[in-house]
Amino acid sequence: MIRSVVRAGQILKELGSGAPRLGVTELSERLAMPKATVYGLLRALEQEDLVERDAETGKYRLGPAVVQLGNAYLDGNELRARSLLWADSLAARVVEAVRVGVLVGANVVVVHHVFRPDDSVQMLEVGAAIPWHASALGKAIVAHLDPADRAALLEGGLPTLTGWTIVEPERLAASLAQVGRVGFAVEDQEAVVGEAEIAAAVFGREGVVGAIGVAGPAERLIGEGPHSDVLAAVREIARRVSKDMGARASAVPHRH
Amino acid sequence: MTRSNRPISASAGLDRAFVVRWIEAAASSIHEQRDHLTQLDAAIGDADHGINLDRGFEAGLARVRDSDALPPGRLLQLVGETLILSVGGAAGPLYGSCLREVGRSLGEDEAFDAEALLVALRAGLQEIVRLGAAAEGDKTIVDAYAPALSAMERALRAGRGAAAFTNAREAAEAGMRATIPLVAHRGRASYLGPRSAGHQDPGATSTALLFGALEAAVRPAAERSA
Repeated sequence: MIRSVVRAGQILKELGSGAPRLGVTELSERLAMPKATVYGLLRALEQEDLVERDAETGKYRLGPAVVQLGNAYLDGNELRARSLLWADSLAARVVEAVRVGVLVGANVVVVHHVFRPDDSVQMLEVGAAIPWHASALGKAIVAHLDPADRAALLEGGLPTLTGWTIVEPERLAASLAQVGRVGFAVEDQEAVVGEAEIAAAVFGREGVVGAIGVAGPAERLIGEGPHSDVLAAVREIARRVSKDMGARASAVPHRH
Repeated sequence: MTRSNRPISASAGLDRAFVVRWIEAAASSIHEQRDHLTQLDAAIGDADHGINLDRGFEAGLARVRDSDALPPGRLLQLVGETLILSVGGAAGPLYGSCLREVGRSLGEDEAFDAEALLVALRAGLQEIVRLGAAAEGDKTIVDAYAPALSAMERALRAGRGAAAFTNAREAAEAGMRATIPLVAHRGRASYLGPRSAGHQDPGATSTALLFGALEAAVRPAAERSA
């Protein structure tokens, strides 16, 4: 019985990661499951509104209940809840976008995104999964993990996203050591050409829980070096969110 | 035979005036398509592609008009550097570095042929690939640019120099349309994952406009030399 839960999970992930609409046969081939099993699971998922069947093509796609689950996840994320107001004040102070992220596997998942307060059209990045090594949020978090967890991530796949992405484990390890010393991480066009981010880790009662950072055009945030006002603001806000998350003062790196 | 179908020799002298016409045609088609580019970008990006490129090419064109003495290669380097300095987002660094490499490849010569331009355009593509780490199929500029160069090369190799620029533009447009079903693997659009499918890539679209401008720029040159 538990195997069917695993299989239902695999179906949902497949529908959520590749082609947006898949038929019973396609799903059965992709997941190496008997067609009858796939069909039975889809019927059950459909009843719970987790998938829906396209009337024209007969193919399946994710259903409306998935949105509710996604939102419930975000609402239940303590870091997101406690950083909402701080993120707004950080964005207002530096007039740039602010992102809050947590580490999920080898990716940083953005759990909160405040638009740059300048009335321009911007894309909501909540839910975006960015390889940790190409993100200031990711580097800030990983720099404060246990050495064994950090080593495992450094040895895992490090995909190249731009010509600036650092993919050599030794270079990344050196940059993480630096992040640990100075208390902030910088990403310069390593995920998206033209974009940069400055971030600091957020700590809870049990250690690092995520990170908060300011994201914007590389020429504005970095230039000749990380923008000092942004840097100061990011570190201050990260300390305040950490305090709200129950971090002991000694666990939070202090300003140098 | 209509005027616009008159053959263009692959060895036709391409010169400073040709580069000026290219940049003029590029600036004007980007200006015309600005809102379209911005709409495309709004679906899978920050809705600034059209505005940024329009501003950048306008600035580039102004620099071109102020620099009568420069050879064509230097002119393109100037446009590239202007784009890098004046355009935000990914478009400035990518197109700017690309045009700078195209210009460097053309060097100090006063005139060049279609073969030399192909080599130069290839150097520009390599720079985009280097900076963006993008391959064909990633839903980027490369999806229009790479097939355009292949089509141009095929035409030149087959001795169909007359068709080279038209074929390049057509291949760029086909590549542009082929980005619609793709899932983005580069740039901010990749944050959307599967949701990026179903939208035409704004970068591939502006690349098709630049190849359209190249085709427009070559016509008068052929008519003059004919």
